[in-house]
Amino acid sequence: MSADGRPVLQVADLEVHYGLRRRRRRVLHGVSLSVARGETVGVIGETGSGKSTFARAVLGLVRASGGRILIDGEDVSRYSARQWRALRRRGVVQYVFQDPLRSLDPDLPIEESLIEPLLVQGVGRKEAVERGRAYLARVRLDSELFGRLPGELSGGQRQRVAVARVLVTEPALIILDEPVSALDSANRVGILEILKELRDAGVALIFISHDLGSVAGVADRIAVLYQGEFVEVGDARAVISNPRHPYARLLVGSAPTLRSAAASRAERDALRALLHA
Amino acid sequence: MVRRVLALPAGRLAVGILSVIVLLAILGPTLAPHDPLGTSALTLAGPSWEHWLGTDYLGRDVFSRLLAGSRTSVLGSVEVALIALVVGVVPGILSVYFGQVFEWFTLRIADTLIALPFLIYAVAVTALLGNGIPQAMFTVGVLVSPLFYRVARASTLAVARSQYVEAALISGASIGWIARRHVWGKVLPPVAVALAQTIGIGFVVVSSLSFLGIGVQPPAPTWGGLLASDLGYLSYQPWAPAVPALLIMATVWGSNLLADAIRDVSGEAGRALLNSRRVRARRLDPAEPIPAGGVAP
Repeated sequence: MSADGRPVLQVADLEVHYGLRRRRRRVLHGVSLSVARGETVGVIGETGSGKSTFARAVLGLVRASGGRILIDGEDVSRYSARQWRALRRRGVVQYVFQDPLRSLDPDLPIEESLIEPLLVQGVGRKEAVERGRAYLARVRLDSELFGRLPGELSGGQRQRVAVARVLVTEPALIILDEPVSALDSANRVGILEILKELRDAGVALIFISHDLGSVAGVADRIAVLYQGEFVEVGDARAVISNPRHPYARLLVGSAPTLRSAAASRAERDALRALLHA
Repeated sequence: MVRRVLALPAGRLAVGILSVIVLLAILGPTLAPHDPLGTSALTLAGPSWEHWLGTDYLGRDVFSRLLAGSRTSVLGSVEVALIALVVGVVPGILSVYFGQVFEWFTLRIADTLIALPFLIYAVAVTALLGNGIPQAMFTVGVLVSPLFYRVARASTLAVARSQYVEAALISGASIGWIARRHVWGKVLPPVAVALAQTIGIGFVVVSSLSFLGIGVQPPAPTWGGLLASDLGYLSYQPWAPAVPALLIMATVWGSNLLADAIRDVSGEAGRALLNSRRVRARRLDPAEPIPAGGVAP
């Protein structure tokens, strides 16, 4: 693996289109981003800005129509389905869904969902169960929950299981799609603490959210996605204290948790008018 | 699944009825007290110690004919259900994964089969492949397969778009892995319901085909065939059609009860239903305390 500071993920001029022929429309345009080992990048954008598509393109679930994606130095943009499967089995990039109830099979016990990535890799069941238990402890869950079904767990517990599930393959990069927006504040803090520990352990995180406030505290860098383009990429503190693009300014001004930066209603209206012009 | 079905009274009743029918099918021909094909001068006799259910218009013992005919009837309907299962379920699941061309063609084939008039098709295939039980059952099985195709396809579609399947894909799982681990468990309950229902339908169909003389050749006995010949002598023996009719009804009813029981106990809702029943039963019986942390399924 790259201990030499080579980025875990490099995206250059990524283009993604949906639909065919006349219904073809551009979802991502000229998106470039580089994520180093142990770095946390927040990707902020409103609904429909293309942030989930960005994540899906990096995971190979959506085919890019242009640009390059390098994962751990490997150019994956022209990979076949078979190559993608081999890459995914190594578990370098993992993904945490927004809704933990739907991302765990309701008919399988926690144990089965948790060790599934290991079983897919070909690890023996006994060893997989052992490793699964270790990661359950790491997200501060009792191993007594192992035999339970997802429906018998609370929302916070389920999201911890989902995080433990992506950790079992020891990924270098985890993409989190609004991982805490379905949780109450106590669980939110719990999950965020686990993520901070991961960052300290050298795992790169891409934190996708529509809410700047929830990312501001965790991210090293922030990328603002607006209508399929990164309109602003930079150091988190710089983006929050001195946003340059009107949309970024509007975002900072609308975040209720960033009280110092909150803009007045008149300022926000002016920014909206500027955007629509 | 089996234990959960047996936890319901309806499930136990269904299993009871169906095991009696299966026993009849296995042991019936050997249990018959008379030769089911042997005629005698004693025609259209009423029930007696010698002939429990009387004799038919050729003097054959009706009880023996019912017992002897059970194997053909039951095997026929099971065959129908299994053929429909194989012809319907596999393309139904694959239609979700094998791309648009395969999907389009299988859907159109299913539509065509639904549109075909059953009797005309059955008669045409009999003319083409010759008359016989396997041919007739194959025909019927293929005709009811769109039911399985659609049921399997609908439940696979619901699972295929789910996040846990996507999560498995991101972990590098193959289509086969996903089908075995995630899809199969969700598709099985509705397919089991359709299967139980089809056994019932198969029975009626086998009976009505032998009523028309397709499939089983006289003088070989089947329940449907008995019903047909009994109907011709209603004025002599008005009660005679009741016995084969009751047997057919019991089997169909048992299959439908089983289908209902399977539907009731499968999936999340089924677990909840069984748990609430168990908790209620315990509340009525204070000797047995409810364990802390709820009841394990």
